Amino acid sequence: MSQIKNQLAQLNGSANALFISYYTAQGEPFPNNVDKLCGPNMTDFPPFHANGTEKTKLVELYRMVAYLSASLGNVTRDQRTLNPDAVSLHGKLNATIDTMRGLLSNVLCRLCNKYHVGHVDVTYGPDTSSKDVFQKKKLGCQLLGTYKQVISVVAQAF
Amino acid sequence: MSTLRIWLTQALFIFLITESIGQLVEPCGYIYPEFPVVQRGSNFTAICVLKEKCLQQYYVNASYIVWKTNHVAVPKEQVTVINRTTSSVTFTDMVLQTVQLTCNVLSFGQIEQNVYGTTVLSGFPPDIPTNLSCIVNEGKNMLCHWDPGRETYLETNYTLKSEWPTEKFADCHSKHGTSCMVSFSPIYFVNIEVWVEAENALGKVSSEAINFDPVDKVKHIPPYNLSVSNSEELSSILKLTWNNSGTLRLKSDIQYRTKDASTWIQVPLEDTESPRTSFTVQDLKPFTEYVFRIRTIKEDGKGYWSDWSEEASGITYEDRPSKPPSFWYKINPSHTQESRSARLIWKELPLSEANGKILDYEVILTQWKSFSQNYTVNGTELIVNLTNNHYIASLAARNVVGKSDTAVLTIPSSHFKASHPVVDLKAFPKDNKLRVEWTAPHKPVKKYIIEWCVLSDNSPCVPDWQQEGGSVTQTYLRGSLLESKCYLITVTPVFTSGPGSSESVKAYLKQAAPSRGPTVRTKKVGKNEAVLEWDQLPVDDQNGFIRNYSISYRTSIGNEIVVNVDSSHTEYTLSPLSSDTLYMVRMAAYTDEGGKDGPEFTFTTPKFAQGEIEAIVVPVCLAFLLTTLLGVLFCFNKRDLIKKHIWPNVPDPSKSHIAQWSPHTPPRHNFNSKDQMYSDGNFTDVSVVEIEANNKKPCPDDLKSLDLFKKEKISTEGHSSGIGGSSCMSSSRPSISSNEENESAQNTASTVQYSTVVHSGYRHQVPSVQVFSRSESTQPLLDSEERPEDLQLADNVDSSDEILPRQQYFKQNCSQPEANPDISHFERSNQVSSGSEEDFVRLKQQQVSDHISQPCGSEQQRLFEEGPATGALGAGTDGQVEQFESVGMETAMDEEIPKSYLPQTVRQGGYMPQ
Repeated sequence: MSQIKNQLAQLNGSANALFISYYTAQGEPFPNNVDKLCGPNMTDFPPFHANGTEKTKLVELYRMVAYLSASLGNVTRDQRTLNPDAVSLHGKLNATIDTMRGLLSNVLCRLCNKYHVGHVDVTYGPDTSSKDVFQKKKLGCQLLGTYKQVISVVAQAF
Repeated sequence: MSTLRIWLTQALFIFLITESIGQLVEPCGYIYPEFPVVQRGSNFTAICVLKEKCLQQYYVNASYIVWKTNHVAVPKEQVTVINRTTSSVTFTDMVLQTVQLTCNVLSFGQIEQNVYGTTVLSGFPPDIPTNLSCIVNEGKNMLCHWDPGRETYLETNYTLKSEWPTEKFADCHSKHGTSCMVSFSPIYFVNIEVWVEAENALGKVSSEAINFDPVDKVKHIPPYNLSVSNSEELSSILKLTWNNSGTLRLKSDIQYRTKDASTWIQVPLEDTESPRTSFTVQDLKPFTEYVFRIRTIKEDGKGYWSDWSEEASGITYEDRPSKPPSFWYKINPSHTQESRSARLIWKELPLSEANGKILDYEVILTQWKSFSQNYTVNGTELIVNLTNNHYIASLAARNVVGKSDTAVLTIPSSHFKASHPVVDLKAFPKDNKLRVEWTAPHKPVKKYIIEWCVLSDNSPCVPDWQQEGGSVTQTYLRGSLLESKCYLITVTPVFTSGPGSSESVKAYLKQAAPSRGPTVRTKKVGKNEAVLEWDQLPVDDQNGFIRNYSISYRTSIGNEIVVNVDSSHTEYTLSPLSSDTLYMVRMAAYTDEGGKDGPEFTFTTPKFAQGEIEAIVVPVCLAFLLTTLLGVLFCFNKRDLIKKHIWPNVPDPSKSHIAQWSPHTPPRHNFNSKDQMYSDGNFTDVSVVEIEANNKKPCPDDLKSLDLFKKEKISTEGHSSGIGGSSCMSSSRPSISSNEENESAQNTASTVQYSTVVHSGYRHQVPSVQVFSRSESTQPLLDSEERPEDLQLADNVDSSDEILPRQQYFKQNCSQPEANPDISHFERSNQVSSGSEEDFVRLKQQQVSDHISQPCGSEQQRLFEEGPATGALGAGTDGQVEQFESVGMETAMDEEIPKSYLPQTVRQGGYMPQ
């Protein structure tokens, strides 16, 4: 469990830097319109109830991290195309995704070992591959904005 | 690898077949297993199967198979013929890593052909890898190490496998077999399981899996941007700041040291275990430069310490000097009665005590019960003129912060007598330094001054010094000391009233063998001993305390003898030595660290001891002298006897009996026989005729008989002459000589015999009778004798001038004729004979008598040689008279002594043998 907490702390500690790095790398109008363009207004983001039981929180955490991991994978893929020179952003995205992979493994083991939960249904965000560049950037920015906001809550919940 | 082996085998096969048959054909058989790999130490069996068509083609079967390993035939004991086409070979305990195994057949029973070949590899299956460990270098992928175990001698693959509980990661294939770096980034806070699989032809094994969280295996990047800053408020602190990498919570490890130090000082880890990026180091020395470094590790201590950061340095702020300088003084020895010059000296404070940059020194000089003088000095000495009174000097160093405490020194009056020295002063090397120890005097000591300098014969003693506290009784000399140098160390206790007496000691930091050995020489060399002496080595060459000398001496063929001599000696006596022997001596000086030989010196012992020669020679000489003296005395005592035998007295004719001289006495010898006897003209013997002395006066009868005898002789022999004559005729004449044999002898060998009648006695003996003697000379006879016709000319020359010189000569050189009492008789005879009829005979005798004067000396000899010329011109009448009278005697004597006579010199008082 300590590893999950450390991973959440690690994600929480790096989420803001990732968010700033992202909208900075997207260029205008994102840096000057972060609130408008990057507001946490995603409708399909998995819910998390910080006051639930540990098992519930772990299950909700697993769903949320699975959603984030898949979405960040799409964002990473889009950024390699849209901002191939944003190496720092790419590194932060990869590190966050890797941490989320580990978090998922830990949460799943925890659920499996302690709560004997072997499978958790997850949902994924929309595929952005067909969207235009701005939409890709905007959806990515909204995702990271939401991630920054949610991860702090989740980190405090454990 | 296996592909390559197959290819090589086939190539070998084709090559062999081509060589043996000359064309590419199918192999006649195969070896099974085709690619054998055998574990070392195990048994291995291979079989060779021949094809049927080859059996018929080459008329062979399995019994014709020859197995070879590395081109060497395998012993038949290892070969088994299984059937008509198959042969097997078995190897036990395979040890070779690679063996080339070939199956050969003797075609037609004789020609060996290669059928098939393969390579047998041997080795070991892989050991289970152990000691698997992984490290995550921050910013890099995970790297794992393991121990593969023993060498397999086979191609072995090592694979690092890793997985989460929920997924597997890509395998990591090792190139070296001992480590592998995974290809994925480490993910912290998720346990990963890692193990190693090893596989080769003989087996496959896996190590134990390790399960860990990669975050616990992290080696972080060293802290960076380390900076150091000081504080003006506190001179003992420095503040560090730095940056850490990553987001993990890290603890730090801080070390520092002074700039010149080599060892690091550790900041306690308890003070830095909480995550931080700054730290303040306290309890530092003022105005001291410190160097810092830092490293980090995960807060819980898991993982690895990072490498040390780059070093950063900072200087603490200044503080007032913590101690006063060491303070001492020197009085100039050449001071006057009224004043003296003092040189106040002090040492620069070490940085640890100066606590800053010393700006200047403040010196206060206070005379006893008088005013003070202040000096501000930038250097480290001050020369002041003092009276003979007591002074107190104080010294303080000052920097930008403040002033040190004062060092007070009492300079006593010039009449002060120092006392209370330290005792048991010792100095010895220790820990590559010179340690000085002493026992404090009974009087309380304020401080000690230790001075030292290098003792040298070439340079003066320039002392260095240091100060120690009053409670110190041992210290090390501070300063750069040299090895093999003699240091004179002086310790002076300083009391409140002034300095005490000094004590000195010599010491070496490190001794060495002397630079050169002593030069030995001999002081005295005797027959059996030699005193050697040498000079003490100069202190510059000693390089240590000379403990002893060794003297080695030997002869050219003898063994070397070594004697040790105490170092306090400068001479030594070698004994016993052999006389008259060359010795080679070498001397060495030894310190505690070794010795050095000096130059070789040689000397030779004398054959005799001093005075030994004198002891031999002096007695011998004395004995010789004594013997000589005794001989002389003996001869003196026995002189008569000796004279009788060696030097008999010439008979005195005057003592002869006249009867024997009588012409009537029958001659003893026949004249004829005499002519025969002296026919050769030489006289070889001398006979002395002793004639009994007769005091009787000559009588006229004797004269008559003499005259008759002469006449007879003239008539018979003509020019013959000789010794003889009666005493009556010769008694009044100084000398008359004649030699009748001369005439005959001159005709043959030009030898003239002379005879002298010595008027006086021998050696003051008064002869009682005349002595007749006979001499021998090579003077030719006068021409008048040889040529009677010249006599006519001589007769005609009366009183000629030629005669005078002869007479003068006789007077001057021939025994003082004037003093001779016979001279009157001589003249009288001359007058008597003048004009007589015997002048003719006398003239010839005169020529003979000229020769009688020969013994008168060399001048006479010269004149004597001129005689013939003179005679040729004509003889004087005096000479004629003289010769005339001697002829008679010679004639008489000749009859009596016909033998021979020694030539003799006429001298008044005696004669000498010639």
